Amino acid sequence: MMTGVHVVGVGMTRFGKHPDSDATDLGSAALLEAIDDAGIDARLIESAYVGHVFQGMVTGQRILAQVGLAGLPLANVENACSSGATAIREASLAIRAGENDVVVAIGTEHLTSKFSGALTPDPSDPEAAVGATMPGVYAMRARRYMEEFGMTREQLALIPVKNKANAARNPLAHFRKEITVQDVLDSRPIADPLHLHDCSPVTDGAAAVILMSDKAAKRFANGRGVRLAASTLRSGSVDVTPTSMTFEPLTWDTAKDAYERAGIGPDEVDFAEVHDCFSIAEVLRVEGLGLFEQGTYPWAVERGEANIGGRLPINPSGGLIGKGHPLGGTGVAQVVEVVRQLRGESGDRQIEGARVGVAHCRGGKAVGIEGAACTVQILVR
Amino acid sequence: METLVESTERPDGCTIIVADPTGEGGTLSGSAVAVSFRPAELEVRPDGSGNLLGSRCQSCGAHFFPIREACSGCLSRDLDDVRFSTNGTLYTYSVVRQSTPAFEVPYVLGYVDLPEGVRIMGQITGCPIEDISIGMAVEMVLEPFGTDDDGNPLTGFRFRPAEAS
Repeated sequence: MMTGVHVVGVGMTRFGKHPDSDATDLGSAALLEAIDDAGIDARLIESAYVGHVFQGMVTGQRILAQVGLAGLPLANVENACSSGATAIREASLAIRAGENDVVVAIGTEHLTSKFSGALTPDPSDPEAAVGATMPGVYAMRARRYMEEFGMTREQLALIPVKNKANAARNPLAHFRKEITVQDVLDSRPIADPLHLHDCSPVTDGAAAVILMSDKAAKRFANGRGVRLAASTLRSGSVDVTPTSMTFEPLTWDTAKDAYERAGIGPDEVDFAEVHDCFSIAEVLRVEGLGLFEQGTYPWAVERGEANIGGRLPINPSGGLIGKGHPLGGTGVAQVVEVVRQLRGESGDRQIEGARVGVAHCRGGKAVGIEGAACTVQILVR
Repeated sequence: METLVESTERPDGCTIIVADPTGEGGTLSGSAVAVSFRPAELEVRPDGSGNLLGSRCQSCGAHFFPIREACSGCLSRDLDDVRFSTNGTLYTYSVVRQSTPAFEVPYVLGYVDLPEGVRIMGQITGCPIEDISIGMAVEMVLEPFGTDDDGNPLTGFRFRPAEAS
């Protein structure tokens, strides 16, 4: 029988601006913390997968060399904003295949040194050539959603307000200051109707998780393991006819695959970390994941259902908007948050009694496809 | 702002607007500007007309932008290159106020649904921002669109409100 996969150690740097370090330093720090958190001898680690986007060749090898683990089988993974989450999936597959018992997945990005302003698709893309920016694309989706479902600009602002309130309770978050709806509306317009507070920031940071097979977890987890019940990945398909941009077939397909593999339905999910690269993105994600019915999430947020302490907390870490978005680091950091929540280690943003958490990443844009790479991870205490 | 010296309606509904290369309103030198910014996706013909290019599946009839090697619907590799219609409907839009150095802000970005069943991203031009709305009829217009590495002007496409027919 195929082995299960368990997250046994987690580590994460503070997210924010790190002018005096680089992606290797950040990745090394996260990895060492994960090893210490697992309480294992580092020599038990058999292979590594390292997600990053703009950090250049063999960043993963640099990280492992930094901490005395050079020589392991290692793959650097690029899948846009899903790079780190894809690294976790690859690591989980190495375990499920029976190849390894202890594997590390790392996500890292020193984005402030590589990039500023609005992220765009690759310059070779036909849409980049006419002026596509990621905020512009999401702004268009926001306008369409407002048109179709009657969401107001003020309702949309409640999402950054919620996420930055959560981030204010997260010592590792990029932003630690609560904001109001008026702050969102008064912030600089980026792409109408989105303002600066609707956008995730340019962030440096890294995170690492140590995954184990049933056999290794039994020996080393000391009861602190969290089961990775599913880790699924999809790429966006080419539409034969244009489809709605207010629903995400890519997110739903990836989630459905995960729910089926985990044997857990969306109604059993206690909380989720979702890819809120922009305020509107959180709406599209949670509805695509089947956690809220299409066209209803802004009203659910208004009622407080997505708050910590609400019916279904979304992005208790602060999400990408509040915690920050170091592209390659993001997907791994989401899993770190879910694991800490399930272990009951999340301090004053703890979700009481949480048993099932979901992490969702989605990244990249290419002409003619709905989205480039999407991942869903389901974790169970 | 470049001086526009000619605006010519074409029978296919596509229009080219040629900027005066000297800036003095002198003799039109169409050939100097009628070079497509992306020849694989936008055909600009010597007479100044042009169309977006894509694929049509011979087997199932699906259309794709840009040109593909195989059909995503039925995997047939028998695809024809086609010129797309120049009129469509605005699916959604945004005023982009922060972009890369290659683009002067603000500009309006939109998704336009063409009758062939493809959705094209392009800039929206030719009317005040407050007159733009989801569902409006638009038509493609060829306009100066950046320069090549040697500084020669290139022709690209935008969409503007369609003339009432």
